[in-house]
Amino acid sequence: MNDERIPNMLSLEEEQLAEATLAGIGETPVNQALPPLQDGAFQHEQVAMTPIIRSEKFCLYYGAKAGVRDITMDIYPRSVTAIIGPSGCGKSTFLRGINRMNDLIPGVRTQGTLAVNGVDAYDRRINLVNLRQQVGMVFQRPNPFPKSIYDNIAYGPRLQGIRGGNDLDEIVENCLRHAAIWDEVKDTLRKSALALSGGQQQRLCIARALATRPQVLLMDEPCSALDPIATAKIEELITSLKNEYTIVIVTHNMQQAARVSDRAAFFCLGNLIEYDLTRVIFTKPVHKQTEDYVTGRFG
Amino acid sequence: MNVALRQWLNRIFTMAAILAVAMIVTALVAILLPMMWRGAGAVVFGGTVEFRRMQLEQFNRGDRAALAAQVEATNQVRARAYEILDRFVSGIDTTALQTRVRQIHREFTLQMNNRDLPPQTLASSRETSKQVRDQLLAALETTDKAVALAALDSVDAHATDGTLKDTAASNYFDVARQYRQILIRMDPAYRGEYAVALGEVQEAVKRLFGPRPGDRLPAVVMDQYGATRWDQAGQQLDRLLWAEKWESPGDGQPVRKVRISRADQFAGTEMAELFPYVYKNLRAMLLPERTFYWQFFTDDNISGHYFGGVGPEIIGTLLVTLLAIAFALPTGVVAAAYLVECASDNLLTRVLRTCVNTLAGVPSIVFGLFGLAFFVIYLLPRLGLPEGSSILAGALTLALLVLPVVIRASEEAIRTVPRAYKEASLALGASRFRCFVTVTLPAAMPGILTGLILSMSRAAGETAPILFTAGVAMGPIPTSLAQPTRTLAYGSYDMAVGDKMAALAPHNQYGIVMTLVGLVLVLNLVAIVVRARVSRRLRGQ
Repeated sequence: MNDERIPNMLSLEEEQLAEATLAGIGETPVNQALPPLQDGAFQHEQVAMTPIIRSEKFCLYYGAKAGVRDITMDIYPRSVTAIIGPSGCGKSTFLRGINRMNDLIPGVRTQGTLAVNGVDAYDRRINLVNLRQQVGMVFQRPNPFPKSIYDNIAYGPRLQGIRGGNDLDEIVENCLRHAAIWDEVKDTLRKSALALSGGQQQRLCIARALATRPQVLLMDEPCSALDPIATAKIEELITSLKNEYTIVIVTHNMQQAARVSDRAAFFCLGNLIEYDLTRVIFTKPVHKQTEDYVTGRFG
Repeated sequence: MNVALRQWLNRIFTMAAILAVAMIVTALVAILLPMMWRGAGAVVFGGTVEFRRMQLEQFNRGDRAALAAQVEATNQVRARAYEILDRFVSGIDTTALQTRVRQIHREFTLQMNNRDLPPQTLASSRETSKQVRDQLLAALETTDKAVALAALDSVDAHATDGTLKDTAASNYFDVARQYRQILIRMDPAYRGEYAVALGEVQEAVKRLFGPRPGDRLPAVVMDQYGATRWDQAGQQLDRLLWAEKWESPGDGQPVRKVRISRADQFAGTEMAELFPYVYKNLRAMLLPERTFYWQFFTDDNISGHYFGGVGPEIIGTLLVTLLAIAFALPTGVVAAAYLVECASDNLLTRVLRTCVNTLAGVPSIVFGLFGLAFFVIYLLPRLGLPEGSSILAGALTLALLVLPVVIRASEEAIRTVPRAYKEASLALGASRFRCFVTVTLPAAMPGILTGLILSMSRAAGETAPILFTAGVAMGPIPTSLAQPTRTLAYGSYDMAVGDKMAALAPHNQYGIVMTLVGLVLVLNLVAIVVRARVSRRLRGQ
């Protein structure tokens, strides 16, 4: 599907386009009057305007305790959406809800819908494997497999049944180049991924997530375990990746959210308080709570 | 807390730790080293000419011509010892002389009958012969020297008797002369004592040199050879040179064992020569050579481990152990995977876990009996295999025995695989099964291998489960898994309790134990090397 996209779409254009589309979002509730979603492939012209992830009154409970409540938000393709909020507010829960990683925890149940590409992720009939291949994920701590760099990247494609050596070599190289780590590791592809530094490991994990050709990339505080230099590299990478991927990033770092994201959502105590263009969230937030949080008075 | 006190506590803790490690090392060294040292005696030892003769005759191994020369040389040296022994035996043991005396009387009677003498003369000469015979027998039987000499004197008085002259009866006087000479050197009062001691000496000589040339070959192979090992020869020499006696030192005192020199015991007799002779010439009689008997690990045994090696036992142990592991490891890993990955924490799984833990504590003999009842008698015959113990039944029983260990170790290993690995794999779209096979299992491998090492050692060393299901003390080398086998552990047990062979050939008992420990060490070493490589890869080196 990646191949179908237009590779050289200017990010500037896209941002303007997105801004234009979302100009009214702050005032109008997002869950109203949306056109019906189409199954299957998107038209590229529409992609810029049609949300790729639509969450409608999405609730997730750990047993009796609510993780997130009534989240209604749309996430737009080829942009970076940051989710911010104090600890325990449900940012990660919501993020992991998108590719159903919460399923691993016993006693989790959900309400409402959370649609990816127009298909409810919590529909019983969906193929979880397909969903997770469409929605890649990068975790808080770099978690490369204890295998070689090459095998780490090739893990996803191999799951998809790609076996040919040349095809795999090509995918591995492409992904590593996309993740801006190719030059550092091209001579040591057969060495263990655990020998890399933390920052390199995290970029490797991003490359690994790219190898399944996802449309969406979920990032759960990807820089929290890294030093400032590695963090800068990852942020740079995020900015370059948003030309082709939809990125949802959870972060505790306000500056980071301001630097890399196009839109930002502020969560508090399991509720979505405010969701708008990043510029708006950081300069003219509607809610007092948001203002307190982004200015550092609370949280 | 006070700083000084804290430092002291630190020091004490460090000391305790060092002490504990030192104790473990000491215990290991104290247990393993003597075992290995004595076990090595089964392989490296001074082999005598008897050993080489045994190797040639039983295993067709060695140089026939060179051995014949050696046997000839030793026989020449030994001949003198046999000669001394024979001379003494004729003195101490008058049975032969008594038989001879009786025979003389019969010959004489026959002679007289053929001479056509008048009945009266015939009767009187027979009477005389009978008289001489009885006197001579009395002299031979009595334990009083004076009585014996008096009896001999009265025998000699008949020497001039006309009726006996130039007949077979003149032989009476030869016997009398012979016995008179023996009596000069030996007091018949000690005859009983000598007879017992002589038996011991003869036994010791037989154990040293084997059956005498020309004797009938004993049926048991064990008795066909003398001391095959120089250290064994030393023990037999000790038995030859020293007698043991129980002595009561006085009223109420416990009796104690004392050693008496045989040279003193036989002082003044012809036998006294034997002991210094054997002592001085033992080396020439046995020709010991330093022998490296590596075939111990390949040879079959003879006479229940008195001779030979442990080849079939090694093969049997390997077969049973590896087969048991082959059954237990996949089953255990799958069970552990179920318990960790699939089963929710409910009553059933809690009961299952308790069962596994309980199973680990069940005595192995119970497993043996279960194996007998279930595999040997019930299951395998119904699958078309012959009834009776078999390698398969033994391996299955051992697999059950080690299953709890495998499950526990694997469960722990799977549980400690970092969640991040599983999450990464699942987030890339792996199904739970693929995630387990490609990520969790490799990461859990070191822990699983630890379980493997533990269970392998246990399976190789167990005797009780084998006892009823797979083990035999003797028998042919198995050609299929449906036949029983010998194993090292079972062989060691059998040597100890079966026919007390462990007392006669302790070197072989130690050899078996050493082989068992060595085998387990080698198996473990392989597993440890594999584990080290796997963990190194997992650590990214």
